[in-house]
Amino acid sequence: MSFDPVPYNLFQGVSTWLQVMGLGLLLVVVTTLAGSLGYGLKGPVLWFWGVIGAIKDVSEISARRIWALAMLTAREAIRRKALLVFGVFALLFMFGSWFLSSPGEKADIQIQRHVVFVFTAISWLVLPVVLMLSCWGIPEDIKARSMHTVVTKPVRRIEIVLGRMLGFSLIATLVVALMAVAGYIWIDRQVSQDAHGQLVCKVPVYGKLAFLDRQGQPASAGINVGDVWTFRSYIEGSTKACAIWEFERLGDSSLMALPATKDRETTRGLRVQTGFESFRTHKGLMSSGLLCQLTLVNPSTNLRVPLPAFEVAEYRGDANVTPIPASLTYYDSEARKNKTVDLLKDVIADGRLKIEARCLNGEQFLGMARPDMFIRTADRSFAVGFFKAITGVWLQALVIVMIGVAASCFLKGPVATLMTFAVLIVGQSFRGLIDKIVSGDQLGGGPLESIYRMVTHLNQTVELDLSKSVTGTIKWTDWISQQGIWLVQQTFPNFGYFGMSPYVAKGFDVDFRAAIVPSVAVALAYFIPCVLLGYFALKLRELESK
Amino acid sequence: MNNLSSRQRKLVYLAVIVILLIPIIWLGRPTSGTGATRDQGKLAQLRTRYDLGENQLGQVDPTSAAMNLVLLGFRGIAADLMWSQADDNETTKNWAELRSNVDTIIMLQPHFVRVWQFQGWNLAYNVSAAWDLVADRFFWVKEGAKFLKKGRAINEKVAQLPYEEGRILGSKMGRADEWKYFRQFFKKDPNEELYKGLADPELNPKGTDNYLAAKDVYLVANDLQQKFPNTISMLDVLFRSYPYRSQLSYADALQREGHFDDSSRVAWEQSYREWVENFGQEKFYGPAGAYHLEMTERDMQEAAEGQGTDVEEFTHWVLRMQNETRFPYWKFRAQAESAQLMVDAHRLIYDGEKQFVQGKLSTARDSLLRGMTMYEQLFSKFPVLATDDEALEESITAVYYWQRILKLEFKPIPAQYPLSVVYANHSNLLPVIESRFKRDTGQD
Repeated sequence: MSFDPVPYNLFQGVSTWLQVMGLGLLLVVVTTLAGSLGYGLKGPVLWFWGVIGAIKDVSEISARRIWALAMLTAREAIRRKALLVFGVFALLFMFGSWFLSSPGEKADIQIQRHVVFVFTAISWLVLPVVLMLSCWGIPEDIKARSMHTVVTKPVRRIEIVLGRMLGFSLIATLVVALMAVAGYIWIDRQVSQDAHGQLVCKVPVYGKLAFLDRQGQPASAGINVGDVWTFRSYIEGSTKACAIWEFERLGDSSLMALPATKDRETTRGLRVQTGFESFRTHKGLMSSGLLCQLTLVNPSTNLRVPLPAFEVAEYRGDANVTPIPASLTYYDSEARKNKTVDLLKDVIADGRLKIEARCLNGEQFLGMARPDMFIRTADRSFAVGFFKAITGVWLQALVIVMIGVAASCFLKGPVATLMTFAVLIVGQSFRGLIDKIVSGDQLGGGPLESIYRMVTHLNQTVELDLSKSVTGTIKWTDWISQQGIWLVQQTFPNFGYFGMSPYVAKGFDVDFRAAIVPSVAVALAYFIPCVLLGYFALKLRELESK
Repeated sequence: MNNLSSRQRKLVYLAVIVILLIPIIWLGRPTSGTGATRDQGKLAQLRTRYDLGENQLGQVDPTSAAMNLVLLGFRGIAADLMWSQADDNETTKNWAELRSNVDTIIMLQPHFVRVWQFQGWNLAYNVSAAWDLVADRFFWVKEGAKFLKKGRAINEKVAQLPYEEGRILGSKMGRADEWKYFRQFFKKDPNEELYKGLADPELNPKGTDNYLAAKDVYLVANDLQQKFPNTISMLDVLFRSYPYRSQLSYADALQREGHFDDSSRVAWEQSYREWVENFGQEKFYGPAGAYHLEMTERDMQEAAEGQGTDVEEFTHWVLRMQNETRFPYWKFRAQAESAQLMVDAHRLIYDGEKQFVQGKLSTARDSLLRGMTMYEQLFSKFPVLATDDEALEESITAVYYWQRILKLEFKPIPAQYPLSVVYANHSNLLPVIESRFKRDTGQD
């Protein structure tokens, strides 16, 4: 896989959310309380009763009223021809295959193309529609004065906000669900028969990765062979260099049926899949891939069981599966005889297993990253991964609805649209850049330093050629703007979590802890602030002001 | 703001719309279909006059046309974003998305020739090199060629694109380190499941040699160059030499693969005829007047006098163009390669190298020595061979193998042996030969 599905730290996420939320609330309390002092002593009293009223509103929320408002909102969205989006969707899918398929295409490439197309089409169609609907609903109601008839009914403002959110979410759910089903059927029909076998969801068990250098000493990483992409690091062939994966929680349930080969009948065992990259310093034997050997190591007894070497088939996913039968026969070079061991009893210790990978070709290198070796448990149906990944699009649409509705409670339609769109663009496209700037990994400094470097054509890696005081001033000014970007990083949603299509495109099941948990957490994290913001904004808003 | 009622305002809008529509309709009237320009709108007339219509540039891709229409004026921005993404895909080795993004870029800019050129080359040279297995590399080389083939269908008036396609089919497949595999794969695709042991019909419908397929594409390029001379980016005399160079490379490749029978001799004879009689007789226009490459000094003098130009200047330019195309060298080479002595020398050296790999040292030694002796005779018979890199490499490689055998047999290398002078004078070639020896034999 070309990315590392690192499990999301939910505890850290929740604590950060509590800190930001607490700080935000404190800020609001302090500023509004200070502002209320403008009305004299009466101000804080009014403020206090306002808060009490809000608590009362929250405690008396009626599900029936919210549902009624939601139904009203959904009907209004349908009346505004939101479902016309299906027409565009149908057109795309009718003609998409014209330019997506080409004869002789590799199976994995074919699958990736179709999956990426379906997810891109669904996202690009659904998100703008829900964005427009949620941002224009309340402002249009206020303009048309239909809001007046609602607020004069025994309906609380918080129920209007929640009803709106629920109504638009229902529309988003309906649209995403129908498109997902259509998309799934379309992929199933479009992918050629010979590629159909690869239309599955692999369920990987990942381990921890460590390296030994060419002298056999522990190293933090392998060798950098000069690849711009530093995702993988490399081990040198015919030396003591190796990469060691340590797996945990393995047991009888990890074993699965292995198909019969010429040497053995059908048996049970582990399937280890690798995805190493080759780097050659000379052409060597061009017709064959580089040789790699895996050695199983018992972490407690240090029993070493070498497996037969295999040729690395670069970027060919399923071609690199090593079956390890439950009963293993290997040649013990010290005892100079064949030995048979039981995988579960002799090699795996308390569910733990180490696997060492070595390159056997001298002066050649194999590149490795943590997700490049995993234990492949029973595959799941493609549908499982596909619909899990669709929840990403769905949750993203819900977050857009929440932000859009909240924004529309205090802004007019066009401004709310622009604001929500900006949040979407920043959260989706600029997240990587923001993270780099905040972490200090971005070369070239902040805005002022970058401007200076661009104007003077100064390389990003060269120190600034200015006096200490000027450099200090530039750095300090940039630090201030960096704090602003930090604030954006902390408050804008990270839409990157919702992009789960790469898992399915690469033939993997969507990782629960690395993808589902953070995306649900982000959606929930924005729910409370958006509802509160919408509620207070609508409560304080002068409805007569169009 | 004003005193107009809502209805009045709408009527004013309607009137403005109608007034604006008149020039738009007049300017944008479609083509008449009969070709009579007087019946066409102004824009259609200009399109016809300057060959700017989509259908006049090549086949119209409906998806591409629709996409550009939908994007209004934003296709430049969209193309920039796609380029950036494609670049990122290549860095992160995300090949499927790279291919999709390249296709999208092309849909956005179907007539931007540089894009076709760059991306075709990128797929065939850079992306293919990023893969380890030869069959995978071949797949991407084919992708590059297919991409350019698609490009020339959409840009039917650009000679450079078939030339680039020919370069991938010919030079890339025939000269890469993996050439032995690529040439075989071109006739028998490694994807046996799909192509059933035959060639990929999209690139090689005749199932022919890669150099001959390249020759066909180069000939298409030459036809286009004649009609649209400004669509190439090199000297016309060089550009037009490629179909004939491809034929020469074909004959050469047969020998490299050990075909020393009639097929290679016939190929060399055909190469000679085409080089001298076809390409050599083509008329070109240089700074000093019209000329063709198959000219003796006397021909040049007569031609210069006939055109009333300075003989010295005319001769200078013709000789310069002959050198640019290596016309005399290839003429001589095709002639020499047809000689039996040359064929025998090649065969003996080829056999000797093969026998060395098989461990038949004494047979290999004899074959190589006889080949070296023949080569020495050829060097004295055709002195121009001493300037031919390939002949030098082949002869010095033979000596290198022969010396290795003597070392393995613990025999001394005599002070004098066939090709000893050539070997001593071109020792700079040894590092390349050593690395090739290591690769071909697996020995240090």
